[in-house]
Amino acid sequence: MLHRFANPARFMRLSGVLLPWMAGAAIILVAAGLYMGLFVAPADFQQGESVRIMYVHVPNAWMALFSYTAMAVASAVALIWKHPLADLAAKSSAPIGACFTFLALLTGSLWGKPMWGAFWVWDARLTSMLVLFFLYLGYLALYNAFDDPTRGARAAAILALVGFVNVPIIKFSVDWWNTLHQPASVIKMGGPSIDSTMLWPLLLMAIGFNFLYFWVLLLRMRGEIHANKIRMIRLRQVHG
Amino acid sequence: MKRKHKRLVFVIIALVLLGGAVGLVMSAFEENIVFFHSPTDVVEKKIKIGKRLRLGGLVEEGSVERKGTRVMFRVTDLVNSIPVVYIGILPDLFREGQGVVTEGLIKDGVLEADEVLAKHDENYMPPEVADALKKSGKWDEMSGAVKRPGPGSGSGAKEEAK
Amino acid sequence: MGRFWHIIRRDLQMAMKQGMDSFMVVMFFVIAVVLFPLGAGPEANMLARISAGVIWVAALLASMLSLERLFQTDYEDGSLELLSLAPYPLEAVVLAKVCAHWLTTGLPLIAAAPLLAVLLNMQTEGFVILAAALALGTLSLSLIGAVGAALILGSRRGGVLLSLLILPLYIPVLIFGVSAVDAAIGGFPMKAQFLILGGFFLAALPLCPWASAAALRQALE
Repeated sequence: MLHRFANPARFMRLSGVLLPWMAGAAIILVAAGLYMGLFVAPADFQQGESVRIMYVHVPNAWMALFSYTAMAVASAVALIWKHPLADLAAKSSAPIGACFTFLALLTGSLWGKPMWGAFWVWDARLTSMLVLFFLYLGYLALYNAFDDPTRGARAAAILALVGFVNVPIIKFSVDWWNTLHQPASVIKMGGPSIDSTMLWPLLLMAIGFNFLYFWVLLLRMRGEIHANKIRMIRLRQVHG
Repeated sequence: MKRKHKRLVFVIIALVLLGGAVGLVMSAFEENIVFFHSPTDVVEKKIKIGKRLRLGGLVEEGSVERKGTRVMFRVTDLVNSIPVVYIGILPDLFREGQGVVTEGLIKDGVLEADEVLAKHDENYMPPEVADALKKSGKWDEMSGAVKRPGPGSGSGAKEEAK
Repeated sequence: MGRFWHIIRRDLQMAMKQGMDSFMVVMFFVIAVVLFPLGAGPEANMLARISAGVIWVAALLASMLSLERLFQTDYEDGSLELLSLAPYPLEAVVLAKVCAHWLTTGLPLIAAAPLLAVLLNMQTEGFVILAAALALGTLSLSLIGAVGAALILGSRRGGVLLSLLILPLYIPVLIFGVSAVDAAIGGFPMKAQFLILGGFFLAALPLCPWASAAALRQALE
C-alpha cells in the first residue's frame, strides 16, 4: 500500500489531480466561514462583537496542533520505513504549522487585550503554544543545518518526535492547571458549550483551514520534488 | 539469545520508569498547582504584608464601587473574600459574578492590585439565547458553568458551587 | 556495569585534564547572576522577588555551555564509532556520559547557588528548596541536553543551534523549578512542583538516552 505512493512520479500525478479540488474547497469554505462568522453569526452575550476573533483564532490553533501531529507522524514513517515522500511531507509541514502557530498567538493576543485585559499572560496554554512555535523553528533550523540533506532530515525527524510530548500538554493545559485561558468549548464531555449559530461558522472555517493546509502541503511537496530534480540535473551537468 | 534477553530487561525498566513518571505527575495534579491563589488560601496562610501575589476568584455580587478610575471590589471563592483596590481601565469582561485574576501587594488585608485580568468561560451564545435561557429557568443549570470560572479560580469555589 | 563506570571515569578525567570545565561553568553562572543587580538596579525587594528566576535561568544557560562538546570530541576522534560497535548498548554509553556531564556541571552549580541567593537577597526559607529543586532539575537538564548534543553532531553552527533546540525543552523544568522556590518563600505548599520535577526526571531517564542513541546512530551512519 505504502509503496504505491512511494513513487514520486505517481505522487506528482495524483497530487496534480487533487490540487485544484483542495484549493477550491479551501477558498469556498474559508470564504463562507468568514462571511458567516463576521456578518451572519450573532454577537456573544458576554463578549459582544469581539467574539468574532474566535472564528480565526480557534482554527489557527487547531491547525497548529494538527500540523505538528502530521509532521511527527510523517517523521516516524520516514525514520522507520525510510520513505522519501514522508521526509518531504514532514519538511513541508513545518513552515505551514509555524505560520498557523504564529497567527494563533497573534489573534489570541488581539482577543486577549479587550477580554482579559492583557495582550499576553504567562499561563500554561499560552506558554506551551509559544514552546510549540519554538519547536517548529528549531526543527527548520536543524533540518537546514547539515551539508548532507538526508542527515538533516533524520536529525530533524528525531527532534520532531521528541517535541511531540508538547502536543498533549497544549491540549490539556487548560484542564490541568488553573489558567486564564478558557477550556475547550467544542470537543468536550457533554457536547459543545457553544451555540449552534456560532458553532457552524467555526466548523466551516476549521474544515476550510484543513483543506488549506493540505493544499499548501501538496504545493510545497511538489516544489521540493521539482527542486530535487533541478539539483540532479545540475549535478549531472557538472559531472558531465 | 542473551542479547535479546538483555534488551527485554531494558524495555521493562524503561516502562517502569515511565509509569513512575506518569504516577508522579498525576498525583501532582491532585495537589492543585495554581496560576493564582484563592481568597481562602490567602486567609488561611495569612500572607505576610508586602508580599506580591496573584489572587483569583469571582467578583462578589454588589461589591463593586467606582470613584473615577479607582475601583473597589471583593474577590470571593464563596467561602472567604478579600477586598481589592485597583486604579486603571478594567477589561470588557469584568463584571459582578465573573471570574477575575488580580495581581498586587497585600496591605492591611486589602489587595492593592496593579493588574486585573478577567477570566472567560467556555460558553458562547447570542444574547437572545441567554435571555431565553434565563426566562425558561434553565439558566440555573447553565449558571454553574457560566458563573463559575471554569475549572479554575481555586478549588473552594468549585466545590461550593456544586 | 563496569564499563558504565569506566566511561564516567574517563569523561571526568578528560574534564579535569582539558582545563577546569567545572570552574568555567561556575564562573559563568556567577557572572551571569551578578549582571542582574547591575542591570536591573540594586533594589533589595525587587532582587529578592526575581532571585529564584534569575538563578534558575543562569543555571540553565550555564549547564548548556559544555553540552556542545558532550559527544563532539568522541565523534571527531572516532571513539564514538568504536563505542557504538562494541556489544554494549549505546543508550548506556549516553547515560554514562550524561552522569559525567551532571557531575562536572550540575553539581558545581548546586553548590554555588546558595551563595548567589545571598547576593540577590533571597529569603532564607528558599535556600534549601532552591538547592533541592536545582538538584532534581539539573539532572533532567543534562538528560534533555544530551538529545540536543547528539542531534547537532556534524552540523554547521553547532552551538547556537543547540541552544535553539534545547532551550524550549528546558522551559517546563524552569517553570516548576522557579515555582517550587517561590512557593517555599511565600509559605505555600511545594509538594506538587517537586512531584512534577520528579516526573520529568523519571520520564527523561529512559526517553532521552534512547532518543540520543538514535540520533548518534544516524550521525555515525
